[in-house]
Amino acid sequence: MLRDLAVVVTALALTASAAWADEARRPVDDEWPVQSTGPLAVDAGLVLALPATWQTGLSSGIGAGVTRGRRFAWGVRGSWSTATESSLVWTVSHDDFRLRGVAVLQQPAGRGVFALRLGLGPTFIYEHRTRNQGARAGLTGSDLENSALATFPGADLEGVVTLHVFGRWSLTVSGGPTAIIADGTLHGGWTGQLGAGWQP
Amino acid sequence: MRRAGVLCLTPLLVAACGKLEGFGGPAPPLASFDIVFHGDLALLRPPGVTDEHSLRVGLVWGAQWLTEPFCVLPAESGDAAAVIAAGCRDPFGFVPAAVSVSVPIAVDVPTTLTLFQLPAADVMVGDVTSRIAYGSLVVFDDRDDSGTLELSRPHRAPSGGRQEDFQTGGPDSRDIIYGASFVTMTEHDQRIAYREGLFDPLSAFYPRAGCEPEPPRGFSVLAAGGFSEAAGLASALSGQLPPEDPSTCMESAPVDATITIDARPPPEVQEVGCDERTDDSSVRYREPPTYAPDLANRTVACAHLPTFDTGTGSPASGLIQFVVSGRSFERCKGLTHYTLRGCREDVNCLVPDWDFTANPPTWWPPCGQ
Repeated sequence: MLRDLAVVVTALALTASAAWADEARRPVDDEWPVQSTGPLAVDAGLVLALPATWQTGLSSGIGAGVTRGRRFAWGVRGSWSTATESSLVWTVSHDDFRLRGVAVLQQPAGRGVFALRLGLGPTFIYEHRTRNQGARAGLTGSDLENSALATFPGADLEGVVTLHVFGRWSLTVSGGPTAIIADGTLHGGWTGQLGAGWQP
Repeated sequence: MRRAGVLCLTPLLVAACGKLEGFGGPAPPLASFDIVFHGDLALLRPPGVTDEHSLRVGLVWGAQWLTEPFCVLPAESGDAAAVIAAGCRDPFGFVPAAVSVSVPIAVDVPTTLTLFQLPAADVMVGDVTSRIAYGSLVVFDDRDDSGTLELSRPHRAPSGGRQEDFQTGGPDSRDIIYGASFVTMTEHDQRIAYREGLFDPLSAFYPRAGCEPEPPRGFSVLAAGGFSEAAGLASALSGQLPPEDPSTCMESAPVDATITIDARPPPEVQEVGCDERTDDSSVRYREPPTYAPDLANRTVACAHLPTFDTGTGSPASGLIQFVVSGRSFERCKGLTHYTLRGCREDVNCLVPDWDFTANPPTWWPPCGQ
Protein backbone atom coordinates (compact mmCIF):
# COMPACT_ATOMS: atom_id res chain seq x y z
CA MET A 1 0.00 0.00 0.00
CA LEU A 2 2.73 2.42 1.01
CA ARG A 3 4.71 1.46 -2.05
CA ASP A 4 1.79 2.33 -4.29
CA LEU A 5 1.38 5.69 -2.58
CA ALA A 6 5.07 6.54 -3.11
CA VAL A 7 4.81 5.76 -6.80
CA VAL A 8 1.77 8.02 -7.16
CA VAL A 9 3.42 10.92 -5.32
CA THR A 10 6.57 10.60 -7.38
CA ALA A 11 4.59 10.59 -10.57
CA LEU A 12 2.65 13.67 -9.54
CA ALA A 13 5.85 15.45 -8.56
CA LEU A 14 7.54 14.67 -11.87
CA THR A 15 4.48 15.79 -13.76
CA ALA A 16 4.34 19.08 -11.87
CA SER A 17 8.03 19.82 -12.31
CA ALA A 18 7.78 19.06 -16.02
CA ALA A 19 4.93 21.53 -16.28
CA TRP A 20 6.97 24.19 -14.47
CA ALA A 21 9.90 23.54 -16.77
CA ASP A 22 7.70 24.01 -19.80
CA GLU A 23 6.42 27.26 -18.34
CA ALA A 24 9.99 28.49 -17.60
CA ARG A 25 10.88 27.87 -21.20
CA ARG A 26 8.17 30.23 -22.42
CA PRO A 27 9.66 33.10 -24.47
CA VAL A 28 10.23 36.34 -22.55
CA ASP A 29 8.32 38.08 -25.29
CA ASP A 30 5.29 36.12 -24.15
CA GLU A 31 5.92 36.80 -20.49
CA TRP A 32 6.80 40.49 -20.94
CA PRO A 33 5.13 41.44 -24.17
CA VAL A 34 6.31 44.54 -25.94
CA GLN A 35 3.56 46.69 -27.28
CA SER A 36 5.66 49.47 -28.79
CA THR A 37 4.93 49.66 -32.44
CA GLY A 38 4.50 53.34 -33.19
CA PRO A 39 7.04 55.82 -34.55
CA LEU A 40 6.86 58.14 -31.56
CA ALA A 41 9.27 57.69 -28.66
CA VAL A 42 9.56 59.71 -25.49
CA ASP A 43 12.25 59.37 -22.86
CA ALA A 44 13.43 61.14 -19.72
CA GLY A 45 16.06 60.50 -17.14
CA LEU A 46 19.02 61.53 -15.07
CA VAL A 47 21.73 63.50 -16.86
CA LEU A 48 25.39 63.55 -15.92
CA ALA A 49 27.77 65.72 -17.90
CA LEU A 50 30.91 67.72 -17.89
CA PRO A 51 29.94 71.35 -17.24
CA ALA A 52 29.67 73.04 -20.61
CA THR A 53 32.40 75.65 -20.17
CA TRP A 54 34.52 74.00 -17.48
CA GLN A 55 36.94 71.18 -17.88
CA THR A 56 36.36 69.97 -14.36
CA GLY A 57 33.50 68.99 -12.10
CA LEU A 58 30.33 67.05 -12.70
CA SER A 59 27.08 68.59 -13.77
CA SER A 60 23.98 66.63 -12.85
CA GLY A 61 20.34 67.12 -13.68
CA ILE A 62 17.53 65.82 -15.78
CA GLY A 63 16.82 65.53 -19.45
CA ALA A 64 14.02 64.49 -21.78
CA GLY A 65 13.36 64.14 -25.45
CA VAL A 66 10.91 63.07 -28.06
CA THR A 67 11.61 61.54 -31.46
CA ARG A 68 9.52 60.40 -34.33
CA GLY A 69 10.54 57.95 -36.98
CA ARG A 70 11.61 54.40 -37.64
CA ARG A 71 15.13 53.68 -38.85
CA PHE A 72 15.68 57.39 -39.24
CA ALA A 73 14.02 59.58 -36.66
CA TRP A 74 14.08 63.21 -35.75
CA GLY A 75 13.02 65.10 -32.69
CA VAL A 76 13.90 67.53 -29.97
CA ARG A 77 15.62 67.14 -26.65
CA GLY A 78 16.24 69.31 -23.65
CA SER A 79 18.19 68.94 -20.48
CA TRP A 80 19.13 70.91 -17.42
CA SER A 81 22.10 70.16 -15.27
CA THR A 82 23.93 72.13 -12.65
CA ALA A 83 27.39 72.18 -11.12
CA THR A 84 29.00 74.26 -8.38
CA GLU A 85 32.70 74.78 -7.93
CA SER A 86 34.79 77.10 -5.78
CA SER A 87 38.01 79.01 -5.97
CA LEU A 88 39.64 81.05 -3.26
CA VAL A 89 37.50 84.04 -4.18
CA TRP A 90 34.38 82.73 -5.85
CA THR A 91 31.76 80.04 -5.52
CA VAL A 92 30.33 79.62 -9.00
CA SER A 93 27.27 77.69 -10.09
CA HIS A 94 26.56 76.90 -13.70
CA ASP A 95 23.13 75.78 -14.83
CA ASP A 96 23.44 74.31 -18.29
CA PHE A 97 20.29 74.21 -20.39
CA ARG A 98 20.77 72.23 -23.56
CA LEU A 99 18.18 72.42 -26.29
CA ARG A 100 18.81 70.19 -29.26
CA GLY A 101 17.19 69.27 -32.47
CA VAL A 102 18.18 65.67 -33.03
CA ALA A 103 18.52 63.29 -35.91
CA VAL A 104 18.65 59.62 -34.99
CA LEU A 105 19.78 56.61 -36.94
CA GLN A 106 18.53 53.49 -35.19
CA GLN A 107 18.65 49.74 -35.64
CA PRO A 108 16.33 47.36 -33.77
CA ALA A 109 17.91 44.23 -32.36
CA GLY A 110 15.61 41.84 -30.53
CA ARG A 111 13.96 43.75 -27.69
CA GLY A 112 16.48 46.52 -28.00
CA VAL A 113 17.34 49.36 -30.27
CA PHE A 114 20.81 50.67 -30.97
CA ALA A 115 20.97 54.23 -32.17
CA LEU A 116 23.33 57.03 -33.02
CA ARG A 117 21.93 60.44 -32.16
CA LEU A 118 23.24 63.76 -33.44
CA GLY A 119 21.97 66.88 -31.73
CA LEU A 120 22.44 70.50 -32.68
CA GLY A 121 21.21 73.53 -30.81
CA PRO A 122 21.88 76.20 -28.26
CA THR A 123 23.29 75.70 -24.81
CA PHE A 124 22.15 78.30 -22.33
CA ILE A 125 24.38 78.74 -19.33
CA TYR A 126 23.13 80.60 -16.32
CA GLU A 127 26.03 81.55 -14.11
CA HIS A 128 25.68 82.60 -10.49
CA ARG A 129 28.75 83.77 -8.60
CA THR A 130 29.04 84.44 -4.89
CA ARG A 131 32.03 86.26 -3.45
CA ASN A 132 33.48 84.00 -0.80
CA GLN A 133 33.60 85.67 2.63
CA GLY A 134 31.56 88.53 1.19
CA ALA A 135 28.51 88.03 3.36
CA ARG A 136 30.67 87.87 6.48
CA ALA A 137 32.38 91.08 5.46
CA GLY A 138 29.06 92.82 4.88
CA LEU A 139 29.19 93.06 1.10
CA THR A 140 25.88 93.53 -0.65
CA GLY A 141 24.54 93.74 -4.17
CA SER A 142 26.74 92.91 -7.10
CA ASP A 143 29.82 92.95 -4.89
CA LEU A 144 28.43 89.95 -3.06
CA GLU A 145 26.87 88.02 -5.91
CA ASN A 146 26.19 88.39 -9.59
CA SER A 147 24.78 86.36 -12.40
CA ALA A 148 24.88 86.16 -16.15
CA LEU A 149 23.21 84.24 -18.92
CA ALA A 150 25.04 83.25 -22.04
CA THR A 151 24.12 81.22 -25.07
CA PHE A 152 26.48 79.11 -27.10
CA PRO A 153 25.94 76.91 -30.13
CA GLY A 154 26.50 73.29 -29.31
CA ALA A 155 26.41 69.77 -30.69
CA ASP A 156 26.15 66.32 -29.16
CA LEU A 157 26.84 62.93 -30.65
CA GLU A 158 25.48 60.14 -28.51
CA GLY A 159 25.20 56.46 -28.70
CA VAL A 160 21.81 55.28 -27.47
CA VAL A 161 20.73 51.87 -26.28
CA THR A 162 17.04 51.28 -25.69
CA LEU A 163 15.82 48.06 -24.13
CA HIS A 164 12.11 47.46 -24.23
CA VAL A 165 11.11 46.11 -20.88
CA PHE A 166 7.37 45.74 -20.70
CA GLY A 167 4.44 47.05 -22.61
CA ARG A 168 5.31 50.49 -23.88
CA TRP A 169 8.10 51.08 -21.39
CA SER A 170 11.78 50.84 -21.98
CA LEU A 171 15.12 51.53 -20.36
CA THR A 172 17.36 53.98 -22.17
CA VAL A 173 21.04 54.66 -21.79
CA SER A 174 22.89 57.21 -23.84
CA GLY A 175 26.19 58.97 -23.82
CA GLY A 176 28.81 60.57 -25.94
CA PRO A 177 30.88 63.63 -26.67
CA THR A 178 29.57 67.17 -26.70
CA ALA A 179 30.97 70.43 -27.90
CA ILE A 180 30.11 74.09 -27.70
CA ILE A 181 31.73 77.10 -29.26
CA ALA A 182 32.50 79.71 -26.61
CA ASP A 183 34.65 82.80 -27.06
CA GLY A 184 35.62 81.56 -30.48
CA THR A 185 37.04 78.29 -29.26
CA LEU A 186 35.70 74.79 -29.21
CA HIS A 187 35.02 73.37 -25.76
CA GLY A 188 34.68 69.63 -25.69
CA GLY A 189 32.93 67.58 -23.08
CA TRP A 190 30.74 64.62 -22.56
CA THR A 191 27.21 63.85 -21.51
CA GLY A 192 25.27 60.81 -20.46
CA GLN A 193 21.72 59.94 -19.55
CA LEU A 194 20.07 57.02 -17.83
CA GLY A 195 16.33 56.98 -17.95
CA ALA A 196 13.06 55.48 -19.00
CA GLY A 197 11.34 55.58 -22.35
CA TRP A 198 7.82 55.30 -23.50
CA GLN A 199 6.80 54.32 -26.98
CA PRO A 200 3.16 53.83 -27.92
CA MET B 1 5.16 83.57 -39.38
CA ARG B 2 7.49 80.62 -39.85
CA ARG B 3 10.21 82.94 -41.13
CA ALA B 4 9.91 85.15 -38.03
CA GLY B 5 10.34 82.16 -35.77
CA VAL B 6 13.46 81.12 -37.58
CA LEU B 7 14.86 84.60 -37.27
CA CYS B 8 14.29 84.57 -33.50
CA LEU B 9 15.95 81.23 -33.07
CA THR B 10 18.98 82.02 -35.19
CA PRO B 11 20.74 84.08 -32.50
CA LEU B 12 20.43 81.18 -30.10
CA LEU B 13 22.65 79.15 -32.34
CA VAL B 14 25.40 81.66 -32.83
CA ALA B 15 25.27 84.35 -30.17
CA ALA B 16 26.58 84.68 -26.68
CA CYS B 17 24.20 87.15 -25.11
CA GLY B 18 26.03 87.43 -21.82
CA LYS B 19 29.59 87.30 -20.55
CA LEU B 20 30.44 84.46 -18.22
CA GLU B 21 33.17 85.29 -15.76
CA GLY B 22 33.61 81.89 -14.20
CA PHE B 23 36.36 82.10 -11.63
CA GLY B 24 38.01 85.04 -13.38
CA GLY B 25 37.44 88.73 -13.32
CA PRO B 26 38.31 91.16 -10.57
CA ALA B 27 37.41 90.14 -7.04
CA PRO B 28 35.45 92.77 -5.15
CA PRO B 29 37.46 93.94 -2.14
CA LEU B 30 36.06 93.05 1.24
CA ALA B 31 37.08 96.40 2.71
CA SER B 32 39.19 99.43 1.84
CA PHE B 33 40.79 101.89 4.21
CA ASP B 34 41.95 105.40 3.40
CA ILE B 35 45.17 106.32 5.14
CA VAL B 36 47.23 109.48 5.43
CA PHE B 37 50.69 109.56 6.94
CA HIS B 38 52.10 112.83 8.23
CA GLY B 39 55.52 113.76 9.53
CA ASP B 40 59.11 114.54 8.70
CA LEU B 41 60.97 111.27 8.65
CA ALA B 42 64.34 112.96 8.19
CA LEU B 43 64.19 113.99 11.81
CA LEU B 44 63.23 110.55 13.01
CA ARG B 45 65.58 108.20 11.21
CA PRO B 46 67.73 105.98 13.40
CA PRO B 47 71.45 106.64 13.38
CA GLY B 48 73.07 105.45 10.20
CA VAL B 49 69.88 105.59 8.15
CA THR B 50 69.90 108.34 5.55
CA ASP B 51 66.74 107.70 3.57
CA GLU B 52 63.62 105.65 3.25
CA HIS B 53 64.05 102.59 1.13
CA SER B 54 60.42 101.62 0.58
CA LEU B 55 57.83 103.22 2.79
CA ARG B 56 54.75 101.05 3.21
CA VAL B 57 51.71 100.79 5.41
CA GLY B 58 50.54 97.39 6.51
CA LEU B 59 47.65 95.99 8.48
CA VAL B 60 48.75 94.06 11.55
CA TRP B 61 46.15 92.06 13.45
CA GLY B 62 46.49 92.16 17.21
CA ALA B 63 47.11 89.32 19.62
CA GLN B 64 45.46 88.75 22.94
CA TRP B 65 48.42 89.11 25.24
CA LEU B 66 48.94 89.33 28.95
CA THR B 67 52.14 90.57 30.44
CA GLU B 68 54.03 88.54 33.02
CA PRO B 69 53.51 89.27 36.73
CA PHE B 70 57.05 90.51 37.29
CA CYS B 71 56.33 93.45 34.98
CA VAL B 72 53.19 94.72 36.67
CA LEU B 73 53.74 93.95 40.34
CA PRO B 74 55.48 96.63 42.39
CA ALA B 75 59.22 96.36 42.01
CA GLU B 76 60.89 95.08 45.18
CA SER B 77 64.09 97.03 44.59
CA GLY B 78 65.64 99.70 42.48
CA ASP B 79 67.46 97.08 40.46
CA ALA B 80 64.21 95.25 39.79
CA ALA B 81 62.58 98.51 38.72
CA ALA B 82 65.45 99.09 36.32
CA VAL B 83 65.02 95.64 34.85
CA ILE B 84 61.29 96.23 34.46
CA ALA B 85 61.98 99.48 32.66
CA ALA B 86 64.55 97.89 30.39
CA GLY B 87 62.92 94.54 29.74
CA CYS B 88 59.16 94.83 30.04
CA ARG B 89 57.08 96.03 27.14
CA ASP B 90 54.09 98.30 27.66
CA PRO B 91 51.48 96.08 29.35
CA PHE B 92 48.75 97.99 27.51
CA GLY B 93 50.53 98.10 24.18
CA PHE B 94 49.40 96.61 20.92
CA VAL B 95 50.92 93.17 20.38
CA PRO B 96 50.96 91.80 16.85
CA ALA B 97 49.60 88.41 15.98
CA ALA B 98 49.78 88.37 12.20
CA VAL B 99 50.79 90.74 9.45
CA SER B 100 48.25 91.14 6.69
CA VAL B 101 48.49 93.11 3.47
CA SER B 102 50.58 96.21 2.94
CA VAL B 103 50.79 98.87 0.25
CA PRO B 104 53.24 101.65 -0.57
CA ILE B 105 52.61 104.97 1.08
CA ALA B 106 54.19 108.41 0.89
CA VAL B 107 54.19 111.22 3.42
CA ASP B 108 51.11 113.43 3.16
CA VAL B 109 49.75 111.47 0.21
CA PRO B 110 46.50 109.62 0.84
CA THR B 111 46.62 105.95 0.02
CA THR B 112 44.14 103.12 0.14
CA LEU B 113 44.73 99.73 1.65
CA THR B 114 42.39 97.10 0.30
CA LEU B 115 41.55 93.78 1.93
CA PHE B 116 40.63 90.76 -0.12
CA GLN B 117 40.71 88.30 2.76
CA LEU B 118 39.03 88.25 6.12
CA PRO B 119 41.19 87.94 9.19
CA ALA B 120 41.89 84.32 9.98
CA ALA B 121 40.24 82.66 12.94
CA ASP B 122 43.50 82.63 14.87
CA VAL B 123 43.49 86.42 15.19
CA MET B 124 39.85 86.62 16.22
CA VAL B 125 39.06 86.50 19.91
CA GLY B 126 35.88 84.81 21.06
CA ASP B 127 33.89 81.85 19.87
CA VAL B 128 32.23 81.41 16.50
CA THR B 129 29.07 83.19 17.63
CA SER B 130 30.86 86.20 19.08
CA ARG B 131 34.34 87.11 18.03
CA ILE B 132 36.31 90.14 17.03
CA ALA B 133 39.69 91.09 15.61
CA TYR B 134 41.48 94.39 16.03
CA GLY B 135 44.22 95.64 13.79
CA SER B 136 46.72 98.44 13.70
CA LEU B 137 47.92 100.14 10.53
CA VAL B 138 51.68 100.27 10.74
CA VAL B 139 53.87 102.52 8.61
CA PHE B 140 57.29 101.03 8.06
CA ASP B 141 60.31 101.32 5.85
CA ASP B 142 60.62 97.98 4.11
CA ARG B 143 64.40 97.84 4.27
CA ASP B 144 64.62 94.23 3.14
CA ASP B 145 62.30 94.67 0.15
CA SER B 146 60.14 91.77 1.23
CA GLY B 147 56.95 93.71 0.62
CA THR B 148 55.71 93.05 4.10
CA LEU B 149 56.56 93.86 7.69
CA GLU B 150 58.72 91.28 9.37
CA LEU B 151 58.08 90.95 13.06
CA SER B 152 60.87 90.67 15.59
CA ARG B 153 61.03 88.75 18.84
CA PRO B 154 62.75 89.39 22.13
CA HIS B 155 66.08 87.62 22.46
CA ARG B 156 66.61 85.48 25.48
CA ALA B 157 69.90 85.20 27.26
CA PRO B 158 71.51 81.76 26.92
CA SER B 159 70.24 78.95 29.09
CA GLY B 160 71.97 75.95 30.55
CA GLY B 161 71.26 72.24 30.50
CA ARG B 162 69.63 70.91 27.38
CA GLN B 163 69.43 74.44 26.06
CA GLU B 164 73.12 75.20 26.60
CA ASP B 165 73.60 75.86 22.93
CA PHE B 166 70.10 77.14 22.39
CA GLN B 167 69.91 79.81 19.77
CA THR B 168 68.62 83.03 21.25
CA GLY B 169 66.55 83.82 18.19
CA GLY B 170 67.11 85.16 14.73
CA PRO B 171 68.26 88.66 13.97
CA ASP B 172 65.91 91.57 14.41
CA SER B 173 63.85 92.66 11.48
CA ARG B 174 65.52 95.29 9.33
CA ASP B 175 62.23 97.06 8.77
CA ILE B 176 61.96 100.39 10.56
CA ILE B 177 58.59 101.34 12.01
CA TYR B 178 57.73 105.03 11.87
CA GLY B 179 54.15 105.05 13.01
CA ALA B 180 51.04 103.09 13.79
CA SER B 181 47.39 103.90 14.14
CA PHE B 182 47.14 101.80 17.29
CA VAL B 183 50.23 101.72 19.49
CA THR B 184 48.87 101.36 22.98
CA MET B 185 45.62 101.59 24.88
CA THR B 186 47.10 104.42 26.95
CA GLU B 187 47.11 106.71 23.92
CA HIS B 188 44.56 107.81 21.39
CA ASP B 189 44.18 105.12 18.78
CA GLN B 190 42.44 104.41 15.53
CA ARG B 191 42.02 100.70 15.02
CA ILE B 192 40.58 98.42 12.38
CA ALA B 193 37.89 96.16 13.76
CA TYR B 194 36.30 93.10 12.28
CA ARG B 195 33.42 91.57 14.17
CA GLU B 196 31.40 88.41 13.64
CA GLY B 197 28.32 87.55 15.64
CA LEU B 198 27.59 89.19 18.93
CA PHE B 199 29.81 91.60 20.78
CA ASP B 200 30.88 90.94 24.33
CA PRO B 201 31.16 94.30 26.11
CA LEU B 202 33.02 92.62 28.98
CA SER B 203 35.78 91.32 26.77
CA ALA B 204 39.19 92.55 27.85
CA PHE B 205 40.61 92.21 24.35
CA TYR B 206 41.81 95.77 23.71
CA PRO B 207 38.72 97.05 25.51
CA ARG B 208 36.95 100.32 24.79
CA ALA B 209 34.70 100.42 27.83
CA GLY B 210 32.42 103.40 27.74
CA CYS B 211 32.46 103.78 23.98
CA GLU B 212 29.05 103.56 22.37
CA PRO B 213 27.76 102.00 20.25
CA GLU B 214 29.45 98.64 20.11
CA PRO B 215 31.50 97.83 17.01
CA PRO B 216 29.28 96.96 14.06
CA ARG B 217 29.42 93.62 12.35
CA GLY B 218 31.95 93.33 9.59
CA PHE B 219 34.72 95.84 9.15
CA SER B 220 34.81 99.20 10.87
CA VAL B 221 37.20 101.87 12.01
CA LEU B 222 37.14 102.59 15.72
CA ALA B 223 38.83 105.23 17.78
CA ALA B 224 39.31 105.77 21.48
CA GLY B 225 41.13 108.34 23.50
CA GLY B 226 42.98 105.91 25.73
CA PHE B 227 43.29 105.65 29.48
CA SER B 228 46.12 106.18 31.88
CA GLU B 229 48.36 103.31 32.89
CA ALA B 230 47.38 103.83 36.52
CA ALA B 231 43.70 103.62 35.64
CA GLY B 232 44.36 100.52 33.63
CA LEU B 233 46.20 98.76 36.45
CA ALA B 234 43.59 99.82 39.01
CA SER B 235 40.81 98.51 36.81
CA ALA B 236 42.62 95.25 36.24
CA LEU B 237 43.10 94.73 39.98
CA SER B 238 39.42 95.36 40.59
CA GLY B 239 38.31 93.11 37.76
CA GLN B 240 36.93 96.00 35.75
CA LEU B 241 37.65 97.37 32.32
CA PRO B 242 39.36 100.76 32.27
CA PRO B 243 36.85 103.34 31.08
CA GLU B 244 37.37 105.48 28.01
CA ASP B 245 36.21 109.04 27.71
CA PRO B 246 33.10 108.68 25.51
CA SER B 247 33.80 112.00 23.85
CA THR B 248 36.99 110.54 22.38
CA CYS B 249 35.29 107.49 20.92
CA MET B 250 34.54 107.23 17.24
CA GLU B 251 33.11 104.55 15.06
CA SER B 252 32.65 104.61 11.31
CA ALA B 253 32.44 102.43 8.28
CA PRO B 254 35.71 101.98 6.40
CA VAL B 255 34.52 104.09 3.47
CA ASP B 256 33.67 106.98 5.77
CA ALA B 257 36.90 107.18 7.69
CA THR B 258 40.35 108.48 6.94
CA ILE B 259 42.95 107.01 9.23
CA THR B 260 45.64 109.46 10.12
CA ILE B 261 49.01 108.24 11.28
CA ASP B 262 51.64 110.58 12.61
CA ALA B 263 55.32 109.83 12.23
CA ARG B 264 57.07 109.05 15.49
CA PRO B 265 60.58 108.09 16.50
CA PRO B 266 61.02 104.36 15.88
CA PRO B 267 61.89 103.56 19.52
CA GLU B 268 58.42 104.81 20.52
CA VAL B 269 56.50 102.61 18.14
CA GLN B 270 58.70 99.66 17.27
CA GLU B 271 57.03 97.44 19.85
CA VAL B 272 54.02 97.10 17.55
CA GLY B 273 56.36 94.94 15.47
CA CYS B 274 57.43 92.75 18.36
CA ASP B 275 55.93 89.29 18.48
CA GLU B 276 55.67 87.40 21.77
CA ARG B 277 56.39 83.73 22.41
CA THR B 278 53.71 83.39 25.05
CA ASP B 279 50.53 85.37 25.46
CA ASP B 280 49.16 84.09 28.76
CA SER B 281 51.55 85.78 31.21
CA SER B 282 53.30 82.48 31.87
CA VAL B 283 57.01 82.58 32.57
CA ARG B 284 59.59 79.97 31.71
CA TYR B 285 62.29 79.94 34.34
CA ARG B 286 65.57 78.80 32.94
CA GLU B 287 68.52 76.81 34.08
CA PRO B 288 71.58 79.00 34.45
CA PRO B 289 74.32 78.16 31.98
CA THR B 290 77.60 76.73 33.16
CA TYR B 291 79.55 79.67 31.89
CA ALA B 292 78.70 83.28 32.53
CA PRO B 293 76.31 84.72 29.97
CA ASP B 294 77.25 87.92 28.24
CA LEU B 295 75.58 90.55 30.37
CA ALA B 296 76.92 93.55 28.50
CA ASN B 297 74.17 96.05 27.61
CA ARG B 298 71.75 94.15 29.81
CA THR B 299 70.10 95.20 33.03
CA VAL B 300 70.01 92.58 35.78
CA ALA B 301 68.47 92.16 39.20
CA CYS B 302 67.81 89.58 41.86
CA ALA B 303 64.18 89.30 42.83
CA HIS B 304 61.77 87.01 44.57
CA LEU B 305 59.39 85.01 42.46
CA PRO B 306 56.01 86.71 42.20
CA THR B 307 53.91 85.36 45.03
CA PHE B 308 51.06 84.14 42.83
CA ASP B 309 53.42 82.33 40.49
CA THR B 310 54.06 79.37 42.74
CA GLY B 311 53.07 76.58 40.37
CA THR B 312 52.44 73.27 42.08
CA GLY B 313 54.94 73.78 44.88
CA SER B 314 52.59 75.51 47.23
CA PRO B 315 53.34 77.27 49.51
CA ALA B 316 55.41 79.86 47.71
CA SER B 317 59.01 78.98 47.05
CA GLY B 318 61.76 80.90 48.71
CA LEU B 319 63.70 80.85 45.47
CA ILE B 320 65.36 83.98 44.25
CA GLN B 321 65.44 84.58 40.54
CA PHE B 322 68.11 86.35 38.57
CA VAL B 323 66.33 88.47 36.00
CA VAL B 324 68.12 89.67 32.91
CA SER B 325 66.74 92.14 30.41
CA GLY B 326 67.36 92.08 26.70
CA ARG B 327 70.26 94.09 25.33
CA SER B 328 69.67 97.78 25.05
CA PHE B 329 70.18 97.88 21.28
CA GLU B 330 67.77 95.08 20.51
CA ARG B 331 64.45 95.82 18.85
CA CYS B 332 62.15 94.11 21.33
CA LYS B 333 62.10 94.16 25.07
CA GLY B 334 62.21 90.89 26.93
CA LEU B 335 63.31 89.16 30.09
CA THR B 336 65.22 86.02 30.92
CA HIS B 337 64.56 84.46 34.31
CA TYR B 338 67.22 82.22 35.87
CA THR B 339 66.68 80.16 38.97
CA LEU B 340 69.05 77.78 40.69
CA ARG B 341 66.39 75.14 40.98
CA GLY B 342 63.43 74.25 38.84
CA CYS B 343 61.90 72.48 35.88
CA ARG B 344 61.20 73.59 32.37
CA GLU B 345 57.49 73.84 32.93
CA ASP B 346 57.29 74.64 36.63
CA VAL B 347 59.84 76.47 38.69
CA ASN B 348 58.45 74.94 41.89
CA CYS B 349 58.30 71.36 40.70
CA LEU B 350 58.86 68.72 43.38
CA VAL B 351 61.54 66.86 41.42
CA PRO B 352 63.68 69.50 39.79
CA ASP B 353 65.34 69.17 36.40
CA TRP B 354 68.22 71.19 37.77
CA ASP B 355 69.27 72.10 41.27
CA PHE B 356 72.32 74.28 41.89
CA THR B 357 71.18 75.63 45.21
CA ALA B 358 74.04 73.89 46.98
CA ASN B 359 76.60 74.66 44.33
CA PRO B 360 75.73 77.71 42.21
CA PRO B 361 77.65 78.48 39.01
CA THR B 362 80.73 80.56 39.59
CA TRP B 363 79.18 83.57 37.85
CA TRP B 364 75.95 83.46 39.84
CA PRO B 365 75.47 86.80 41.58
CA PRO B 366 75.02 87.05 45.34
CA CYS B 367 71.25 86.83 45.33
CA GLY B 368 70.87 85.81 48.94
CA GLN B 369 70.96 82.07 48.21
